[in-house]
Amino acid sequence: MKKQITAKKIVIGLLILAVSAGAIYAQKAPKDKFAFGPLNPIRMPKVEKAELPNGLKLFLVEDPEFPTIYAYALVRTGAIFEPAAKIGLASLTGSVLRTGGTKTRTGDQIDKELETLAATVSTSIGQVSGTINVSVLKEDFDKALEILADLLTDPAFPQDKIDLAKIQQRTAISRRNDNVGGIASREFGKLIYGKDSPYARQAEYAGIDALTRQDIVDFYNAYFYPNNTIMAVCGDFKTKDMVAKLTAALGGWKKGKAAAEPWPKVAVEDKYTVNFVDKPDVNQSNIMLGHLGGLMNHPDQPALDIMNQILSFERMFKRIRTDEGLAYSVWGSYGANYVYPGMFSCGAQTKSQSTVYAIEIMLKEIQRIMAEEVSDEELAKAKDGYLNSYVFNFQTKAQILNRMLLYAYYGYPLDFTEKLKTGVEKVTKADVLRMAKKYLKPDKVQILVVGKKADFDKPLSTLGNVNVIDISIPAPKQK
Amino acid sequence: MIFRKSLLLRLSLILSVLFLASTAAQAQTFDAVKKQVRTHTLANGMKFIVLERHDAPVAAFHVYADVGSANESYGITGISHILEHMAFKGTTTVGTKDFAAESKVLGELDAAYAEMRQEETKVAPDQAKLAQLKAGFTDLEKKAKEFVVNNEYFDMMMREGDAGVNAYTSNDATQYINYLPSNRLEFWMAMTSDRFLDPVFREFYKERDVIQEERRLGVETQPTGKLMEDFMAVAFKAHPYHHGVVGHMSDLQAITRKDVENYFKKFYGPSNLTVGIVGDVKADEVFQLAETYFSRVPSGPRPEPVRTKEPEQWGERRVAVSAKSQPFLLIGYHVPDARSKDSRAIEALANILGQGRSSRLFAALVKDKKIAAMIQATSGFPSDKFPNLFAVIAMPAAGKTSAECQAAIEDELEKIKKDSVTEDELTKFKRSSIKSALAQLTSNPNMAALLTYADVVLGDYGKAFDQIEEIKALKAEDIKRVANLYLVKNNRTIGEIVPEK
Repeated sequence: MKKQITAKKIVIGLLILAVSAGAIYAQKAPKDKFAFGPLNPIRMPKVEKAELPNGLKLFLVEDPEFPTIYAYALVRTGAIFEPAAKIGLASLTGSVLRTGGTKTRTGDQIDKELETLAATVSTSIGQVSGTINVSVLKEDFDKALEILADLLTDPAFPQDKIDLAKIQQRTAISRRNDNVGGIASREFGKLIYGKDSPYARQAEYAGIDALTRQDIVDFYNAYFYPNNTIMAVCGDFKTKDMVAKLTAALGGWKKGKAAAEPWPKVAVEDKYTVNFVDKPDVNQSNIMLGHLGGLMNHPDQPALDIMNQILSFERMFKRIRTDEGLAYSVWGSYGANYVYPGMFSCGAQTKSQSTVYAIEIMLKEIQRIMAEEVSDEELAKAKDGYLNSYVFNFQTKAQILNRMLLYAYYGYPLDFTEKLKTGVEKVTKADVLRMAKKYLKPDKVQILVVGKKADFDKPLSTLGNVNVIDISIPAPKQK
Repeated sequence: MIFRKSLLLRLSLILSVLFLASTAAQAQTFDAVKKQVRTHTLANGMKFIVLERHDAPVAAFHVYADVGSANESYGITGISHILEHMAFKGTTTVGTKDFAAESKVLGELDAAYAEMRQEETKVAPDQAKLAQLKAGFTDLEKKAKEFVVNNEYFDMMMREGDAGVNAYTSNDATQYINYLPSNRLEFWMAMTSDRFLDPVFREFYKERDVIQEERRLGVETQPTGKLMEDFMAVAFKAHPYHHGVVGHMSDLQAITRKDVENYFKKFYGPSNLTVGIVGDVKADEVFQLAETYFSRVPSGPRPEPVRTKEPEQWGERRVAVSAKSQPFLLIGYHVPDARSKDSRAIEALANILGQGRSSRLFAALVKDKKIAAMIQATSGFPSDKFPNLFAVIAMPAAGKTSAECQAAIEDELEKIKKDSVTEDELTKFKRSSIKSALAQLTSNPNMAALLTYADVVLGDYGKAFDQIEEIKALKAEDIKRVANLYLVKNNRTIGEIVPEK
């Protein structure tokens, strides 16, 4: 580093080197103009669509490069549809569906059978979807499909596997305060959506203990049917053969009610609050602040994407991390989800002694992006980055297909990615300012700090009345 | 920008490099890919490994620097990872408005820091003088900052569409990754050759603060992070796997810019760097550009290998971390490095014992006895260039204890030591190795990482493919033999998180 060769000398030196090495290139400096040749075109896979008579929708792509087959299915269900008194039911159903096996083979037999083939068949239910994954060497596909069909049409839900899954859930409850980041994101979600909201509520021992096998069977019956499911299959097969196989295996899966339950609405009012979780055993504060965000299919989304990139990287990261050295991980982004509002959230983890200082900077950066236009340079960097990396949305056939499946599941146009890109191309500085003014509300953020109060630079009360959140876990009932 | 947190069992590359072709189709697939790999070594010793994959117009770039926290000594723990962060700070032309002027201030800043540090570390520092020195240092830091173009390296890469600009440091290596549209090949060459020929470690003291926050985030506020650090310190009394990648806090507060420059000179010579490029590029073009851009890096001596070896263990070791947390159990047995012939059998042992729902430990502790909520076994812990650990990690179920888990784990180990594994279990391991290898082949970044790793750690990129024969030859008695050889009480360390009221 001490050697200060001038750029000119390097270029001359390299020209000589280049010539002597027989290379045909002259060296360029990083800031020289590069004439980038045209990229080879993106290869869009040929996606075949099919629908079985029982309403199971299929998206298929032949990919003979490697001798494997992947299937990925989404079932319209989710923890959001659990009754309020039965939190944990969806997750329990999703896991015991697979671990409990069927009426003709136990879950443990299936574990052995699949793992001996190095095959995966898994099921789970998350917040807004149920997921089925199959991944297998091509020659074992028939076996995996047979097991999958058996699971979907004839699950056993035996009591011993229900009890085992409940142990897992109780363990998760008992450990939920072991990790500071986990506490912060969980409590922040409750602040933004409301603690009883289907999008934020949490399981407790009492609720888990009360869940019965019948609850699970009912939940399964309410959602797991073919016309409530869409499936993507990708790999080394011929589409015609695959459709025939799926028809033979899953054709007997009985059709259910057609109408999909609507996604629960989010009805909250943004308000300014300051919240604190006491964690006297840590030396770093975990900070989150924000309010409700938006939906991804809103026409403003492309402009918001650009605003987010500038707010998160150009502003929060460069200021709080690089200039001030206050945190390793820093962000600020107006989040959007497919079917329910996302969260506008800013976050950082900083030593206890800079807690309030870091929050003040975050708030100032939100105000700044609302007060003045971003620079030409910031806009150009954000847009170029987005557009130049756009090609990475099309790396593999499986990636493209799985995204399409998600769009279909949430009722988005299948070419939604392309639409976003077209929108981004048109974003201006005025748009970014308009977005910030329209969507960001620094006077209505909820601030959450998880940390050690005694070491804070200033009391949190300098930011407003402090609401102390009790995170102690309600004890399980003694048996 | 991340250091590898290996506590959560990494799905190790090792597992993925073990192939077994059970059918002609798979054998052909692996053979075909191996044949497509091409290499070129510059006169200065820098090696380029290229795999052309033309599915999408993108290319993954992987610079593997053969230096990690295992190369560090007392006083400079964490410096490999600090250097990784500093490699994002630019060069004499990137990240600066006026390097000549900036360079002068950076020199003054270092001198001011040294003076301040000298006073600070006196038995009885002169507080008034210290305050004055601190003020002077802060002023110079502000002055230096005026020349900086904030994160210009990042900006330039991201603006060209870099979807993966990042780096990570492990015990063994420091790895720099980029993922660019493939027509940015020459741009990458220009940026990267300057990055490793002409780096400027600006904004050093602030970045040191960021890394201290990273340590708080990953270790000091995480009970499992604390356990990991203490466990390694006990399991390795001599070998530098003893200390964690992120380093000790006191070192992070004292390492100087000069330390980092010296470390760079020692470990970033071209013969210590291996580059993997996988994607829509032409190997010949890559090699010509490599000659043009990287030949100017002067060659130097290879750094001396790590001297200290872990001696034989004299008895079981134990370590406990007291924390406001549920219990956690970690058991480790010393095993040889990745190049050892025994490593394949040890990997099979880890898979059969503790990977997947039908594995011995999961079946016994989670399904049957219901005393653990999670359990896994792994080898290559925390890394595998040097002799390392075969480890079992258990999370006791609510209301259950680490002691109950330990007893049940020991029962399962004894069964394998006595009766070995079944043919079905061995087949499972072989097939899962094939499948994860096939999955690996579909990813440009993973292949770039794998090829450089195999070339440096295993001695030849082709080993990633060749170990197929070793796997084919694995027999149940091999597993039994390594279990009896390594999984013995005197060779183990037991660590646990003890819940604090």
